[in-house]
Amino acid sequence: MSKERILAKSHFRKNKGSSIGIFCLMLLASMLLSLSMILFTDTYPTAEKEAERLNGGDGILFFTSSKIQADDAYLTKLLDGVKEYEVERALYYSVLSMPFGSAEMTNSLKVGRVETTTSKKLARTEICEEDASVEGDFIYLPYQFKTSGGYHVGDDYKLSISGETYDLRIKGFLNTVYGGCNNSGLYESCVSDEVYDRMYAKIGDAGESTFVVFNLKDDVKEGAFRIRVMNTLMADDPLADVSMNYLSAFLSSRTFMSLIIAGSFFAVTMLVVLVIILMIVNSISNYVKENMKTIGALKAIGYTSRNIKGSVLMMFLALAVIASVLGVAVSYLVAPMIASVVIAQMGVPYSVSFSLIATIVAISTVVVLTILVTLLALRKIKRIEPIVALREGVESHNFRSNHVRLDKTPLSLNASLSFKTMLHNKRQNIITFVVTGIMVFFCVIALLMFENFNLHPNLNILMSESADGVVGFDVETKEEGEKFCKSYPEVKNLRRYFETTINVGQEDSLALMVFEDPTRMNNQDICYKGKLPSHDNEVNISGKFAKLNGYKLGDEIKLNVGGKEYAYIICGLIQSCNNDGHQAIMSESAASHILDLQIMPSAFAFDTEEDDQIESFLTSCDEKFGDHVVVRINMQKTIEASLITFKGIATLMLVMVGLISALVILLVLFLLIRSLVFSKRKDYGIYKAIGYTSKSLILQTAGSFMPAIILSVLIFSVLSYFMANPYMQLIMINFGLMKCTFNIPIPGLIAIGTAMILLSFLFAVLQARRIKKVEPYQMLVAE
Amino acid sequence: MNEIIKTQKLCKTFSNGGMQQHVLRNIDLSIYEGDFTVIMGASGAGKSTLLYALSGMDKPSLGDIDFAGKNITKGTPDELAVFRRKNCGFVFQQTYLVDSMSVLDNVLAAALLVEKNKKKAASKAKEVLKSVDIEESLWNKFPTQISGGEAQRVGIARALINDPKLVFADEPTGALNSTTGKDVLDVLTKANEKGQSIVMVTHDITSARRGNRILYVKDGEIAGECQLGKYVSGDKERHLKLRDFLGGMGW
Repeated sequence: MSKERILAKSHFRKNKGSSIGIFCLMLLASMLLSLSMILFTDTYPTAEKEAERLNGGDGILFFTSSKIQADDAYLTKLLDGVKEYEVERALYYSVLSMPFGSAEMTNSLKVGRVETTTSKKLARTEICEEDASVEGDFIYLPYQFKTSGGYHVGDDYKLSISGETYDLRIKGFLNTVYGGCNNSGLYESCVSDEVYDRMYAKIGDAGESTFVVFNLKDDVKEGAFRIRVMNTLMADDPLADVSMNYLSAFLSSRTFMSLIIAGSFFAVTMLVVLVIILMIVNSISNYVKENMKTIGALKAIGYTSRNIKGSVLMMFLALAVIASVLGVAVSYLVAPMIASVVIAQMGVPYSVSFSLIATIVAISTVVVLTILVTLLALRKIKRIEPIVALREGVESHNFRSNHVRLDKTPLSLNASLSFKTMLHNKRQNIITFVVTGIMVFFCVIALLMFENFNLHPNLNILMSESADGVVGFDVETKEEGEKFCKSYPEVKNLRRYFETTINVGQEDSLALMVFEDPTRMNNQDICYKGKLPSHDNEVNISGKFAKLNGYKLGDEIKLNVGGKEYAYIICGLIQSCNNDGHQAIMSESAASHILDLQIMPSAFAFDTEEDDQIESFLTSCDEKFGDHVVVRINMQKTIEASLITFKGIATLMLVMVGLISALVILLVLFLLIRSLVFSKRKDYGIYKAIGYTSKSLILQTAGSFMPAIILSVLIFSVLSYFMANPYMQLIMINFGLMKCTFNIPIPGLIAIGTAMILLSFLFAVLQARRIKKVEPYQMLVAE
Repeated sequence: MNEIIKTQKLCKTFSNGGMQQHVLRNIDLSIYEGDFTVIMGASGAGKSTLLYALSGMDKPSLGDIDFAGKNITKGTPDELAVFRRKNCGFVFQQTYLVDSMSVLDNVLAAALLVEKNKKKAASKAKEVLKSVDIEESLWNKFPTQISGGEAQRVGIARALINDPKLVFADEPTGALNSTTGKDVLDVLTKANEKGQSIVMVTHDITSARRGNRILYVKDGEIAGECQLGKYVSGDKERHLKLRDFLGGMGW
């Protein structure tokens, strides 16, 4: 056994407590690093990997038209520039409310026959779970209905479409590229032939829709191709319901939440790593102080600084290696729980697999950082003279002034002595201040997510327009429908609107919301810069699109659709998580320059005084207009379903961040107080000898950390209150949210601060209880 | 004379692995009010162990100690700490002042345990510091900024501040040179002349001369006792009597 190894073992035995504390912090860091890497390298790319495996193609076009004969000849001409494509005929419901768990999900729904749905070559749809014994009226639903909706094979599922109710049983779940997630706007399902025929019979003149998955030739530009195809279809049938999107947009909307989680995890991890670096440096510095005599003795008998440094490094290296390997192992135990929440949102079959990159990054980061900070902190060993070390070093206190004079201070004796201890342990208190502050910040972020995605969902951020409900009529009945809405006594604040797609030049497209009067929108926050459009030459475009293309407020932007073009002034920038941040808003008068409003369907966003009036109004619309009602959304119910995955993630974040914060503060206080009690054991002996009780010394010691903790909580609570939204903005800007206005509840903030102070005090008192073991006689005689 | 401390069959045994070491054996002893009692003995005889057992700082293995009417062998550590505040003062060989506190605060930290009125406590602390010849210019200095002799006198001030029934001094001059050691002994003698009871452990004959009662500890027992009467400077007969006693004890 080498001499360094013998010494390393002896260091560990002598510093067992603090070694275990640092070991736990290292384990925590490597676990979090590995977890966030697993989320980044394995979980997050799952949707993309699955899309590739299922031969997802470049994009999907689907349209419903009673005029267009979408035969091979037509499609070949339409899809000029396509390398390959595959057509599927299926039923399509553009806006449908479906049961989803205990709530309702409003989304577009594609319903196909089992045979045609599962036999595609491009963008294959796979059955990922099924019960062959289920027969009769059955349905295969997207896998998200299992992961997020809580359904199981064999469950009953009741689908209501245009007044007809279908009592179905779930035969299985589908793994699908384009129709698997509510965030991507389309659900894909398939039903038994009998059910399909019944649905087909009810669908009316439009008949089956055409779904085309395609792969573009290499030299074809996506934007230009999209505009040409859309314009052609709209020219051929202005009433056609057309939608076209590329795989990248589907994947982006399907995975954005998991990216937020992975990002947040990574941010927390980096801070825990920072805390660990601080703690290792502090511990080594304490180690040198506490072992001065031993170092002196070792040097005196002939050990070189290099030998001693090598032995300390060996100890920390051994701790780092074991802790990081264990941390990685633990991360694989925890990963399925976190991944299940992420997957619930993506709706992709997934099980955590071993990630070599995650393992290497987690272990090497912890080990390399440990080596670096250990070597850095050990530099002082070289300067220690053996004789000085044997005398435990020359005391070189530099007290410039006596800050808390016992004869002058208005504080009680215990409080005064606490303050003295605090001022004497500046470095430890600075560490406590910084660590507590960081943890407060992350608790506030978790609180923000919990408040805005779970407790009181911030609909203005998640949706373009918030309302209690939406009802939409087809072109034939839209005027009569509007009159009915206006005359309905319980309905108020009626906003007429419709959605379509417009083009910018020949390559870019924007999802356009046309309001009768955009300035009457409930969600005034959507316009974060400038104003909402009110004149016929004004438009709002999304900030993300403006940034990408260099547009500024006041610039002119030429928009076109179906061969008509008009130059608008950008009077405002809007933010939206939807449509990959490609969105625009204008008034009907402005839209009339390029769109024929007569052939556009109308939807009405409305509010009511009482929640139960929403459903009674929608029922009245159904009774009066029957199949002419093309959209009916009870937002109270719908929002519940849409938020299920957000709620899970927000709750998970709150619990995880809360636990990590508590654990980190616990470990930090453990290490700091342990070291403090050790270095002040002689003083505690003196205090006890002259009559101080253990209880008062414990309170003094625990109390000496409280000013730093309280100050940190106060300062960082205020800072976090103002910085949390800009921080979230850094993450959300990638999804089109340019200015975050998330609500941070003050009572929640106070609760976090209070909990942190109380917990810290409790931890500190528990740690300081080791003072009880200091026996004055032994301590003083031992000297 | 009134007894402050009375011990009965006081034993202290240390265990080390399977071995037992009997440091104090069945000691019956009384300490009297107003006395300057000196405990002497060879190294390892059990002097310091006896001193700290008498003060309640260390618990005996067997036997009873009655200190000012209280059996201090039965109290919890915190009860004994509260008891020490009013009844005991300590002077150690290594001064054991708290380095992070000024001279005045070191004394006040003890004073405020008993006297809650800060003004009164501060005024008394200053008075006691003056009485041990610590000048005002040193009050706001820290222990590392004053000499060893000064630090020991501050330690004595801290021991005296609460007018304890008994001051325990463990080799108070052991770490000092002869001049500063004499100063410290003068301070203790002066305190004793004013009525302060003192128990001092020492192995130095010059220091022992200050006591009026000498106890000699040998192999954990009180091997002998010598009454010298009150200290008078330059009393050669007293010195000879002490030397004879110690010689008889095999010192």
